[in-house]
Amino acid sequence: MKSEPTPKRLDLEGGATLLLEEDHSLPLVSMTLALKSGSAHDPVGKEGASRIALRMLRRGAGGMTAKQIEDAIDRLGGEVGTDASPSGATVGAQVIVRNLDNFVDLLATMLGSPAFPSDEFGRLQRETVAEILESRDSDRALAQRAFRRSLFAGHLYGRSTTGTTATVPRLTEDDARAAYGLHVRRGNLVIGLSGDVNESDAKRVAARLLDAIPAGQGLPDPIVEPEPKKGRRLVFVDKPERTQTQVLIGTLGTSAFDPDHVPLGVANAVFGGTFTSRLMREIRSKRGWSYGASARLATDRHRQSFSMWTFPSSADVAPCLRLEIELLEAFVDKGITPRELSFVKSYLTRSRAFDVDTSSKRLHQALDVVSLDLPADYHSSYVAKVKSTTLEAANLAVKTRIHPADLVVVVVGTAESTLEGVRGAIDALEEHTVVPFDAE
Amino acid sequence: MPALDPHGAIAEKLSAGAPAGQKVTYRGAHPFSDTKLHRYELSNGLTILLLRDQSAPVAAYHTWFNVGSRHEKTGKTGLAHLFEHLMFNETESFKAGEFDKKLEESGAESNAATWVDWTFYHEALPKDRLPLAVRLESERMARLVLREPQVKSEKEVVANERRYRVDDDVEGASNELLYKTAFTRHPYHWPTIGWMEDIQGFTPEDCETFYRTYYAPNNAVVVVVGDFQEPKLLGLMQKAYGPIPRSVIPPDEALPEPFQSESDLREITLKKPTPTEKLIVGYHGPALGDQDHVPLTVLNELLFGGRASRLYRALVLDTETCIETRGWVSTFRDGGLYEMYGTARAGKTTGDILAILDREIARVTADVVSEDELARAKARLELSLLQSLETMNGKAEQIGFFETVLGEPSAAFRRLEGYRRSTASDLRKAARRYLTGQGRTLVRVLPENGA
Repeated sequence: MKSEPTPKRLDLEGGATLLLEEDHSLPLVSMTLALKSGSAHDPVGKEGASRIALRMLRRGAGGMTAKQIEDAIDRLGGEVGTDASPSGATVGAQVIVRNLDNFVDLLATMLGSPAFPSDEFGRLQRETVAEILESRDSDRALAQRAFRRSLFAGHLYGRSTTGTTATVPRLTEDDARAAYGLHVRRGNLVIGLSGDVNESDAKRVAARLLDAIPAGQGLPDPIVEPEPKKGRRLVFVDKPERTQTQVLIGTLGTSAFDPDHVPLGVANAVFGGTFTSRLMREIRSKRGWSYGASARLATDRHRQSFSMWTFPSSADVAPCLRLEIELLEAFVDKGITPRELSFVKSYLTRSRAFDVDTSSKRLHQALDVVSLDLPADYHSSYVAKVKSTTLEAANLAVKTRIHPADLVVVVVGTAESTLEGVRGAIDALEEHTVVPFDAE
Repeated sequence: MPALDPHGAIAEKLSAGAPAGQKVTYRGAHPFSDTKLHRYELSNGLTILLLRDQSAPVAAYHTWFNVGSRHEKTGKTGLAHLFEHLMFNETESFKAGEFDKKLEESGAESNAATWVDWTFYHEALPKDRLPLAVRLESERMARLVLREPQVKSEKEVVANERRYRVDDDVEGASNELLYKTAFTRHPYHWPTIGWMEDIQGFTPEDCETFYRTYYAPNNAVVVVVGDFQEPKLLGLMQKAYGPIPRSVIPPDEALPEPFQSESDLREITLKKPTPTEKLIVGYHGPALGDQDHVPLTVLNELLFGGRASRLYRALVLDTETCIETRGWVSTFRDGGLYEMYGTARAGKTTGDILAILDREIARVTADVVSEDELARAKARLELSLLQSLETMNGKAEQIGFFETVLGEPSAAFRRLEGYRRSTASDLRKAARRYLTGQGRTLVRVLPENGA
């Protein structure tokens, strides 16, 4: 197999890093400014500060009003979005190449001289609270939130990056300014460029952005390794009139630094990572209980979650849940078979082509490595590690990392009609709590 | 004698010695961005569109069938979509489950989608695995096995999909009501996923009849984008698809939707366990192929596209009436709807949203928009087209969609030229034609507890 193209890496003045992946097939340039710190730095009671600070970048900067900034982005054929997580944050942008320099000037103004005008801050605060309320319409989002809160209770991963209806209204412009000052600094920055841009363009773009961004070192990571919690716990999110439920079952999963990280991922792909996985076959194909059924291992700087996701009808949720736990126990006890291993290795190595088929995907892999401090060969050694995974290594990884005795089960549904069945479907259930869907 | 076009020569060579019904004909090239895609046709009517792209060692293989929910009958709604699910089951050569297994083993990803006018199946494969896609897709075009257990299990999966997307989803439920109310005669009246009672009533015979009628080479287009050798790929396709017989495709029975007169204001209220009120407005709009579709799309971008658009500004930023708003001019073969959405904030009502919406509609029908706003809307549409072409799958989808709905595989670029040429006057004309002088349909969603 030909080696995969990898982005060029340049270390810039002030501790910043530039990653470049050229692709001249479309007149489009994508830019990602990745900050190596995120909402885990939000002070207690000020959850949401980092995210709101980033979102304020487009709401007034360098003498431009929010309206002028939005008009300019559109006029240049550009797009700007921001995102934050406990471990990092990004400003992502894309622009038609003919307007690249003007667009970079605009980005430099937004990143380097945000004004945090108080009328806009108040508006964004109210908008954020309204968004939190509106997200109650999404049963899946309710399930994810409850799962994260319960699995990582007392840990920084358990907090909300968006903030809550209690914390967001209490934030001030000074909190946003402080969060901006903390995160947006040269030593904390990785600049990624992909698309119709060459090395000299990229250096010019990076220099222009760095010139605008305050100097400063990167930040120490405040997140510690999460501790496992013992026993099986059910969180039932009660919402009226559900004909269907959302079910998440999980526990702690993997860290990118575990020696068995790839073998665990290989085994998980057999269990719930493909369209023909065990979960899909048993739950969707054989029984028609849920439109989707999957298992996922999240990756971050520290150990993250393992979770199984299904959405059976209210009538099927109890047997579906029981079956999922049985399948999980069998997966841990007996592991995967040689035939399954051979099949999934073929899938994972061949489908790798789709992880790297565009310049922006290649860039994002490199960005992950640098911004989340993953092992340098995290992506480049992936195929070789999959190929060399033995049955013993895969099955041992599952036994070592996944503990079916310690599960968080989250069900979003109507308690009146389904809670009893759900409780009965979980053997050795130690505790259960029922929370109204509009509690947060 | 002029030299034969190399693509014509490929077709001629493949046809020499082929059985009478299995010839390949080259039908010419279509410009596509800065390159060309080539059109071939087999004797049985199968259209093949090939776009060579060597930017990555992968390929996209799309099969578009000219069948969607518009081809269904009352009492049998949802059949096209259920069928899409069944297409992943057993065939004469492959046991149930083998189709997906073979693809996954090859590192391929596959899926499918159904809507009002079409159904399409797509695979993304490493480039050396293209022959597998040819084999599997040709097999299921002609040799699908439909048995009771699979039909029963897929009906259950689809019923669950309906609960997920419609019954327990506020937006899905309200969108379904909008079309149900706005269309009274045309089949856009019913949802593509089908009514629940229809889904539960299908028999294997219903599926078999549907399959034999619509899954035929003369009702399909295969689009391949990727790094392939054209003669080799075409040869494989000729061999695999050539023997499949044509079908007699029934005429389109869709009745035109009667005009919704100015006095015909339809309004439905839906109560749901949702935190805030929602409003959906639907005006009957142009078909995708109508000339007006292009300026109305530009107008929609100006009204709803992004944070600098008029309605986002008015509803979300300035008055803080909504948390979200958006608009869409449906891209259907027949006239669909110009849909407008607003999600109210706590304490605001659908009436508040409607008042602002009406004020902005009145503005665009009375006055021409500014050149700066027009330029911004055009730049956004150009960016969005470029973004859709970033992957081979994206390109294949553009080609397959426009070929199936308009018979014009590179229409995306003609439309882009149309956006560029649209004037402020064109936008106002389109606004006057569709947003005044006819009735409209409103769906109001209210929180159940009256909060």
